[in-house]
Amino acid sequence: MNPAEICARLQQAHLPAFECGPAPIEGVRVRTPLMYPDGGIIDVFVVPRAGRLEVTDFGEALGWLRLQSSSGQLSPRQKRLLEDVCLTLGVELFRGQILKRVQEEELHHAVLQVAQAALRVSDLWFTMRTRAVESVADEVADWLEERRIPFERNVSLAGRSGRSWTIDFQTRLPERTSLVFVLATGSSSAARRVTEHVVASLYDLNHLRVVQRDLAFVSLFDDTEDVWKEEDFRLVEDLSIPARWSRPDEFERILQAA
Amino acid sequence: MITQQELESILADPSKRIEGEIFWNHDKDHSPALEFRVHLLSDPGWPIIVVGRCNPCAGTLSYALIHKGAGRIYALDLGADHHNPSCHRVGEKHKHRWSEAFRDKEAYVPGDISAPWNQPLAVWKEFCRKAAITHHGLMHSPVAQGDLPL
Repeated sequence: MNPAEICARLQQAHLPAFECGPAPIEGVRVRTPLMYPDGGIIDVFVVPRAGRLEVTDFGEALGWLRLQSSSGQLSPRQKRLLEDVCLTLGVELFRGQILKRVQEEELHHAVLQVAQAALRVSDLWFTMRTRAVESVADEVADWLEERRIPFERNVSLAGRSGRSWTIDFQTRLPERTSLVFVLATGSSSAARRVTEHVVASLYDLNHLRVVQRDLAFVSLFDDTEDVWKEEDFRLVEDLSIPARWSRPDEFERILQAA
Repeated sequence: MITQQELESILADPSKRIEGEIFWNHDKDHSPALEFRVHLLSDPGWPIIVVGRCNPCAGTLSYALIHKGAGRIYALDLGADHHNPSCHRVGEKHKHRWSEAFRDKEAYVPGDISAPWNQPLAVWKEFCRKAAITHHGLMHSPVAQGDLPL
Protein backbone atom coordinates (compact mmCIF):
# COMPACT_ATOMS: atom_id res chain seq x y z
CA MET A 1 0.00 0.00 0.00
CA ASN A 2 1.23 3.47 -0.74
CA PRO A 3 0.57 6.42 1.62
CA ALA A 4 -2.48 7.57 -0.35
CA GLU A 5 -4.04 4.10 -0.16
CA ILE A 6 -3.36 3.89 3.58
CA CYS A 7 -5.07 7.25 4.15
CA ALA A 8 -8.01 6.21 1.96
CA ARG A 9 -8.38 3.00 3.93
CA LEU A 10 -8.51 4.94 7.21
CA GLN A 11 -11.08 7.37 5.81
CA GLN A 12 -13.26 4.44 4.82
CA ALA A 13 -13.16 3.30 8.44
CA HIS A 14 -14.93 6.52 9.48
CA LEU A 15 -12.28 7.96 11.75
CA PRO A 16 -13.14 11.59 10.92
CA ALA A 17 -11.15 13.20 13.71
CA PHE A 18 -7.99 11.45 12.58
CA GLU A 19 -5.92 13.47 10.12
CA CYS A 20 -3.74 11.54 7.72
CA GLY A 21 -0.68 12.78 5.84
CA PRO A 22 2.78 11.69 4.72
CA ALA A 23 5.38 10.96 7.42
CA PRO A 24 8.82 12.60 7.08
CA ILE A 25 10.76 9.49 6.02
CA GLU A 26 8.35 6.66 5.25
CA GLY A 27 4.69 5.75 5.61
CA VAL A 28 1.97 8.05 6.85
CA ARG A 29 1.41 10.07 9.99
CA VAL A 30 -2.03 9.82 11.59
CA ARG A 31 -2.78 12.79 13.83
CA THR A 32 -5.27 11.59 16.44
CA PRO A 33 -7.66 13.62 18.60
CA LEU A 34 -6.00 12.11 21.71
CA MET A 35 -3.64 14.14 23.88
CA TYR A 36 -0.62 13.66 26.13
CA PRO A 37 -1.17 14.91 29.69
CA ASP A 38 0.25 18.34 28.81
CA GLY A 39 -2.08 18.79 25.82
CA GLY A 40 0.36 17.58 23.16
CA ILE A 41 -1.40 15.81 20.31
CA ILE A 42 -0.68 12.10 19.89
CA ASP A 43 0.48 11.05 16.42
CA VAL A 44 0.84 7.45 15.26
CA PHE A 45 2.48 6.22 12.09
CA VAL A 46 1.63 3.51 9.57
CA VAL A 47 4.49 1.95 7.63
CA PRO A 48 4.14 -0.86 5.04
CA ARG A 49 6.57 -3.68 5.86
CA ALA A 50 6.87 -7.08 4.17
CA GLY A 51 3.32 -7.18 2.86
CA ARG A 52 1.78 -6.09 6.14
CA LEU A 53 1.27 -2.76 7.87
CA GLU A 54 3.14 -1.72 10.98
CA VAL A 55 1.43 0.82 13.21
CA THR A 56 3.88 2.52 15.58
CA ASP A 57 4.43 5.65 17.61
CA PHE A 58 8.17 5.62 16.69
CA GLY A 59 8.95 5.87 20.43
CA GLU A 60 7.23 9.21 20.90
CA ALA A 61 5.12 8.26 23.95
CA LEU A 62 8.05 7.03 26.03
CA GLY A 63 10.12 9.89 24.65
CA TRP A 64 7.50 12.37 25.79
CA LEU A 65 7.57 10.78 29.23
CA ARG A 66 11.35 10.99 29.37
CA LEU A 67 11.22 14.68 28.52
CA GLN A 68 9.21 15.40 31.66
CA SER A 69 11.79 14.40 34.27
CA SER A 70 15.38 15.18 35.04
CA SER A 71 16.41 11.52 35.30
CA GLY A 72 14.64 10.35 32.16
CA GLN A 73 14.20 6.95 33.79
CA LEU A 74 11.18 4.93 34.72
CA SER A 75 10.84 3.43 38.18
CA PRO A 76 10.34 -0.34 38.53
CA ARG A 77 6.67 0.29 39.27
CA GLN A 78 6.24 2.42 36.18
CA LYS A 79 7.90 -0.31 34.10
CA ARG A 80 5.40 -2.83 35.42
CA LEU A 81 2.51 -0.49 34.59
CA LEU A 82 3.94 -0.06 31.10
CA GLU A 83 4.00 -3.83 30.54
CA ASP A 84 0.42 -4.01 31.79
CA VAL A 85 -0.74 -1.34 29.32
CA CYS A 86 0.81 -3.25 26.42
CA LEU A 87 -0.68 -6.55 27.59
CA THR A 88 -4.18 -5.09 27.87
CA LEU A 89 -4.13 -3.49 24.43
CA GLY A 90 -2.31 -6.31 22.65
CA VAL A 91 0.51 -4.11 21.42
CA GLU A 92 4.21 -4.82 21.41
CA LEU A 93 6.89 -2.68 23.02
CA PHE A 94 10.08 -2.93 20.99
CA ARG A 95 13.02 -0.60 21.48
CA GLY A 96 10.83 1.98 23.17
CA GLN A 97 8.26 1.92 20.36
CA ILE A 98 4.65 0.86 20.70
CA LEU A 99 4.00 -1.45 17.75
CA LYS A 100 1.30 -3.51 16.16
CA ARG A 101 1.60 -5.46 12.89
CA VAL A 102 -1.66 -6.00 11.02
CA GLN A 103 -3.26 -6.85 7.72
CA GLU A 104 -4.91 -4.06 5.76
CA GLU A 105 -8.41 -4.92 7.01
CA GLU A 106 -7.42 -4.46 10.66
CA LEU A 107 -5.66 -1.15 10.15
CA HIS A 108 -8.15 1.16 11.84
CA HIS A 109 -8.33 -1.08 14.93
CA ALA A 110 -4.54 -1.07 15.20
CA VAL A 111 -4.38 2.72 14.85
CA LEU A 112 -6.83 3.07 17.74
CA GLN A 113 -5.00 0.52 19.89
CA VAL A 114 -1.56 2.07 19.38
CA ALA A 115 -2.94 5.57 19.99
CA GLN A 116 -4.68 4.40 23.16
CA ALA A 117 -1.50 2.67 24.33
CA ALA A 118 0.45 5.90 23.74
CA LEU A 119 -2.14 7.77 25.79
CA ARG A 120 -1.95 5.30 28.68
CA VAL A 121 1.85 5.15 28.62
CA SER A 122 2.06 8.93 28.78
CA ASP A 123 -0.38 8.89 31.69
CA LEU A 124 2.42 7.33 33.75
CA TRP A 125 3.36 11.00 34.07
CA PHE A 126 0.76 11.20 36.83
CA THR A 127 2.92 8.87 38.93
CA MET A 128 6.05 11.00 38.56
CA ARG A 129 7.28 12.53 41.76
CA THR A 130 7.62 16.05 40.38
CA ARG A 131 3.85 16.01 40.17
CA ALA A 132 3.75 15.69 43.97
CA VAL A 133 1.70 12.53 43.71
CA GLU A 134 3.94 9.89 45.20
CA SER A 135 7.29 9.55 46.95
CA VAL A 136 9.79 6.77 46.33
CA ALA A 137 8.92 5.39 49.77
CA ASP A 138 5.30 5.02 48.58
CA GLU A 139 6.60 3.10 45.58
CA VAL A 140 8.69 0.84 47.81
CA ALA A 141 5.65 0.20 50.05
CA ASP A 142 3.54 -0.74 47.01
CA TRP A 143 6.28 -3.03 45.76
CA LEU A 144 6.64 -4.78 49.16
CA GLU A 145 2.89 -5.37 49.22
CA GLU A 146 2.96 -6.80 45.70
CA ARG A 147 5.79 -9.15 46.64
CA ARG A 148 3.94 -10.08 49.84
CA ILE A 149 6.84 -9.11 52.01
CA PRO A 150 5.51 -8.21 55.46
CA PHE A 151 6.69 -4.81 56.60
CA GLU A 152 6.19 -1.92 58.98
CA ARG A 153 6.71 1.63 57.83
CA ASN A 154 8.42 4.50 59.69
CA VAL A 155 9.67 2.38 62.56
CA SER A 156 11.18 4.33 65.44
CA LEU A 157 14.17 2.79 67.25
CA ALA A 158 16.50 4.15 69.93
CA GLY A 159 20.20 4.32 69.19
CA ARG A 160 22.87 3.68 71.78
CA SER A 161 23.38 7.45 72.03
CA GLY A 162 19.80 7.74 73.24
CA ARG A 163 18.65 9.45 70.08
CA SER A 164 15.55 8.08 68.37
CA TRP A 165 15.83 7.23 64.67
CA THR A 166 13.04 6.68 62.15
CA ILE A 167 13.71 3.82 59.75
CA ASP A 168 11.68 3.79 56.53
CA PHE A 169 10.84 0.08 56.56
CA GLN A 170 11.26 -2.96 58.77
CA THR A 171 10.65 -6.12 56.76
CA ARG A 172 10.14 -9.55 58.29
CA LEU A 173 10.72 -12.71 56.30
CA PRO A 174 11.39 -16.22 57.62
CA GLU A 175 15.04 -15.85 56.62
CA ARG A 176 15.78 -12.48 58.19
CA THR A 177 14.49 -9.16 59.43
CA SER A 178 15.78 -6.06 57.64
CA LEU A 179 15.83 -2.40 58.51
CA VAL A 180 15.62 -0.51 55.21
CA PHE A 181 16.83 3.06 54.95
CA VAL A 182 15.59 4.77 51.78
CA LEU A 183 18.01 7.34 50.39
CA ALA A 184 16.14 9.68 48.03
CA THR A 185 16.63 13.23 46.91
CA GLY A 186 16.36 15.13 43.67
CA SER A 187 19.34 17.35 44.42
CA SER A 188 23.02 16.46 44.01
CA SER A 189 23.95 18.99 46.66
CA ALA A 190 21.61 17.33 49.19
CA ALA A 191 22.68 13.76 48.33
CA ARG A 192 25.77 13.71 50.55
CA ARG A 193 23.83 15.09 53.53
CA VAL A 194 21.24 12.34 53.12
CA THR A 195 23.99 9.70 53.02
CA GLU A 196 25.71 11.10 56.10
CA HIS A 197 22.42 11.11 58.00
CA VAL A 198 21.90 7.43 57.17
CA VAL A 199 25.50 6.59 58.15
CA ALA A 200 24.95 8.26 61.52
CA SER A 201 21.76 6.27 62.10
CA LEU A 202 23.41 2.99 61.01
CA TYR A 203 26.27 3.57 63.41
CA ASP A 204 24.03 4.50 66.31
CA LEU A 205 21.75 1.49 65.76
CA ASN A 206 24.57 -0.98 65.13
CA HIS A 207 24.26 -2.48 68.61
CA LEU A 208 20.95 -4.08 67.57
CA ARG A 209 22.80 -6.53 65.38
CA VAL A 210 24.76 -7.82 68.35
CA VAL A 211 21.61 -9.16 69.96
CA GLN A 212 19.72 -9.96 66.72
CA ARG A 213 22.02 -12.05 64.57
CA ASP A 214 19.46 -12.31 61.75
CA LEU A 215 18.96 -8.54 61.50
CA ALA A 216 20.21 -6.84 58.33
CA PHE A 217 20.64 -3.14 57.61
CA VAL A 218 19.87 -2.22 54.00
CA SER A 219 20.54 1.18 52.40
CA LEU A 220 18.20 1.50 49.42
CA PHE A 221 19.34 4.23 47.00
CA ASP A 222 16.75 5.80 44.70
CA ASP A 223 19.07 5.75 41.71
CA THR A 224 16.28 6.73 39.31
CA GLU A 225 17.65 10.19 40.14
CA ASP A 226 21.22 10.65 38.93
CA VAL A 227 22.47 12.33 42.09
CA TRP A 228 24.56 9.66 43.83
CA LYS A 229 28.33 9.31 43.66
CA GLU A 230 30.37 6.15 44.24
CA GLU A 231 31.50 7.62 47.59
CA ASP A 232 27.88 7.59 48.80
CA PHE A 233 27.70 3.83 48.25
CA ARG A 234 31.10 3.33 49.90
CA LEU A 235 30.07 5.39 52.92
CA VAL A 236 27.23 3.01 53.81
CA GLU A 237 28.68 -0.32 52.70
CA ASP A 238 30.63 -1.08 55.88
CA LEU A 239 27.54 -0.65 58.01
CA SER A 240 24.80 -1.89 55.68
CA ILE A 241 24.05 -3.66 52.41
CA PRO A 242 23.65 -1.11 49.59
CA ALA A 243 20.76 -1.72 47.19
CA ARG A 244 19.50 0.17 44.14
CA TRP A 245 15.83 0.88 43.54
CA SER A 246 16.39 0.45 39.80
CA ARG A 247 17.18 -3.22 40.53
CA PRO A 248 14.24 -4.47 42.60
CA ASP A 249 15.10 -8.14 42.04
CA GLU A 250 18.48 -7.64 43.71
CA PHE A 251 16.77 -5.77 46.53
CA GLU A 252 14.38 -8.68 47.00
CA ARG A 253 17.29 -11.16 47.14
CA ILE A 254 18.94 -9.06 49.83
CA LEU A 255 15.76 -9.07 51.92
CA GLN A 256 15.41 -12.84 51.51
CA ALA A 257 19.02 -13.82 52.12
CA ALA A 258 19.53 -16.05 55.11
CA MET B 1 7.44 23.14 43.10
CA ILE B 2 8.55 26.60 42.10
CA THR B 3 6.87 29.98 42.10
CA GLN B 4 6.23 32.32 39.20
CA GLN B 5 8.83 34.67 40.63
CA GLU B 6 11.42 31.90 40.71
CA LEU B 7 10.66 30.97 37.12
CA GLU B 8 11.06 34.57 35.98
CA SER B 9 14.39 34.74 37.85
CA ILE B 10 15.58 31.52 36.22
CA LEU B 11 14.69 32.61 32.70
CA ALA B 12 16.15 36.08 33.15
CA ASP B 13 19.39 34.86 34.75
CA PRO B 14 22.16 35.58 32.21
CA SER B 15 24.65 33.32 34.01
CA LYS B 16 22.96 30.18 32.66
CA ARG B 17 25.51 28.26 30.65
CA ILE B 18 26.44 24.88 29.22
CA GLU B 19 30.12 23.92 29.14
CA GLY B 20 31.49 21.52 26.57
CA GLU B 21 30.40 19.66 23.51
CA ILE B 22 26.94 18.20 23.13
CA PHE B 23 26.63 14.78 21.57
CA TRP B 24 23.34 13.20 20.62
CA ASN B 25 22.89 9.54 21.51
CA HIS B 26 20.19 6.99 20.95
CA ASP B 27 17.77 7.02 23.84
CA LYS B 28 17.92 4.29 26.46
CA ASP B 29 15.50 2.09 24.54
CA HIS B 30 17.31 2.56 21.22
CA SER B 31 14.18 3.96 19.58
CA PRO B 32 14.59 5.95 16.33
CA ALA B 33 14.97 9.12 18.44
CA LEU B 34 18.24 10.72 19.55
CA GLU B 35 18.63 12.56 22.83
CA PHE B 36 21.05 14.50 24.97
CA ARG B 37 20.95 15.56 28.60
CA VAL B 38 23.32 18.18 29.97
CA HIS B 39 23.51 20.06 33.25
CA LEU B 40 22.67 23.73 33.08
CA LEU B 41 25.28 25.63 35.08
CA SER B 42 24.47 28.97 36.67
CA ASP B 43 25.79 31.23 39.43
CA PRO B 44 22.74 30.63 41.68
CA GLY B 45 23.00 26.85 41.02
CA TRP B 46 19.49 26.32 39.65
CA PRO B 47 18.78 22.54 39.70
CA ILE B 48 18.08 22.29 35.99
CA ILE B 49 19.09 20.02 33.16
CA VAL B 50 18.63 20.65 29.46
CA VAL B 51 17.21 17.85 27.35
CA GLY B 52 17.14 17.59 23.58
CA ARG B 53 15.23 15.02 21.58
CA CYS B 54 15.09 14.58 17.83
CA ASN B 55 13.06 11.88 16.10
CA PRO B 56 13.65 11.90 12.33
CA CYS B 57 11.03 9.20 11.71
CA ALA B 58 8.32 11.21 13.48
CA GLY B 59 9.63 14.55 12.27
CA THR B 60 9.89 16.06 15.74
CA LEU B 61 12.47 18.11 17.63
CA SER B 62 12.27 19.27 21.25
CA TYR B 63 14.52 21.21 23.60
CA ALA B 64 13.45 21.49 27.24
CA LEU B 65 14.63 22.88 30.57
CA ILE B 66 13.77 20.37 33.30
CA HIS B 67 13.73 21.64 36.88
CA LYS B 68 14.43 18.81 39.34
CA GLY B 69 11.59 19.86 41.61
CA ALA B 70 9.01 21.12 39.15
CA GLY B 71 9.62 19.15 35.96
CA ARG B 72 9.53 20.84 32.56
CA ILE B 73 9.53 24.62 32.94
CA TYR B 74 10.49 25.88 29.47
CA ALA B 75 10.46 23.98 26.21
CA LEU B 76 10.26 24.20 22.48
CA ASP B 77 8.45 21.56 20.41
CA LEU B 78 8.61 21.35 16.64
CA GLY B 79 6.74 18.89 14.44
CA ALA B 80 3.96 17.94 16.87
CA ASP B 81 0.75 19.85 17.50
CA HIS B 82 -0.54 21.02 20.88
CA HIS B 83 -3.97 21.63 22.36
CA ASN B 84 -4.22 24.43 24.93
CA PRO B 85 -6.57 24.41 27.97
CA SER B 86 -8.42 27.28 26.28
CA CYS B 87 -9.37 24.73 23.61
CA HIS B 88 -7.45 25.78 20.57
CA ARG B 89 -4.65 24.12 18.70
CA VAL B 90 -1.38 25.97 18.65
CA GLY B 91 0.33 24.27 15.73
CA GLU B 92 3.52 22.34 15.08
CA LYS B 93 5.83 25.09 16.31
CA HIS B 94 5.18 25.96 19.93
CA LYS B 95 6.83 26.75 23.23
CA HIS B 96 5.85 25.87 26.76
CA ARG B 97 6.58 28.30 29.57
CA TRP B 98 5.66 27.18 33.09
CA SER B 99 3.09 29.29 34.94
CA GLU B 100 1.43 28.96 38.33
CA ALA B 101 -1.98 28.73 36.68
CA PHE B 102 -1.28 26.12 33.99
CA ARG B 103 2.16 24.73 34.87
CA ASP B 104 3.51 23.54 31.47
CA LYS B 105 0.16 22.85 29.80
CA GLU B 106 -0.20 26.13 27.94
CA ALA B 107 1.77 26.68 24.77
CA TYR B 108 2.21 29.63 22.45
CA VAL B 109 3.67 30.24 19.01
CA PRO B 110 7.16 31.68 19.44
CA GLY B 111 8.26 34.51 17.21
CA ASP B 112 11.92 33.83 17.87
CA ILE B 113 12.20 30.42 16.20
CA SER B 114 12.54 30.44 12.42
CA ALA B 115 14.49 27.24 11.69
CA PRO B 116 12.50 24.03 11.05
CA TRP B 117 12.71 20.78 12.99
CA ASN B 118 15.20 19.23 10.55
CA GLN B 119 17.80 21.93 11.30
CA PRO B 120 18.46 21.12 14.95
CA LEU B 121 21.68 23.15 15.23
CA ALA B 122 20.04 26.33 13.93
CA VAL B 123 17.05 25.75 16.22
CA TRP B 124 19.41 25.22 19.17
CA LYS B 125 21.04 28.59 18.62
CA GLU B 126 17.68 30.32 18.51
CA PHE B 127 16.45 28.43 21.57
CA CYS B 128 19.53 29.33 23.61
CA ARG B 129 19.40 32.99 22.58
CA LYS B 130 15.83 33.45 23.82
CA ALA B 131 16.36 31.35 26.97
CA ALA B 132 19.49 33.37 27.88
CA ILE B 133 21.70 30.28 27.80
CA THR B 134 25.30 30.55 26.70
CA HIS B 135 26.73 27.38 25.21
CA HIS B 136 30.53 27.30 25.47
CA GLY B 137 31.09 24.45 23.09
CA LEU B 138 29.91 22.73 20.00
CA MET B 139 26.68 20.88 19.37
CA HIS B 140 27.19 17.94 17.05
CA SER B 141 24.54 17.09 14.51
CA PRO B 142 22.13 14.38 15.75
CA VAL B 143 22.30 12.53 12.45
CA ALA B 144 24.11 12.88 9.18
CA GLN B 145 22.29 15.48 7.11
CA GLY B 146 21.53 12.83 4.52
CA ASP B 147 19.40 11.05 7.13
CA LEU B 148 17.14 14.05 7.64
CA PRO B 149 14.39 14.72 5.13
CA LEU B 150 15.42 18.17 3.90
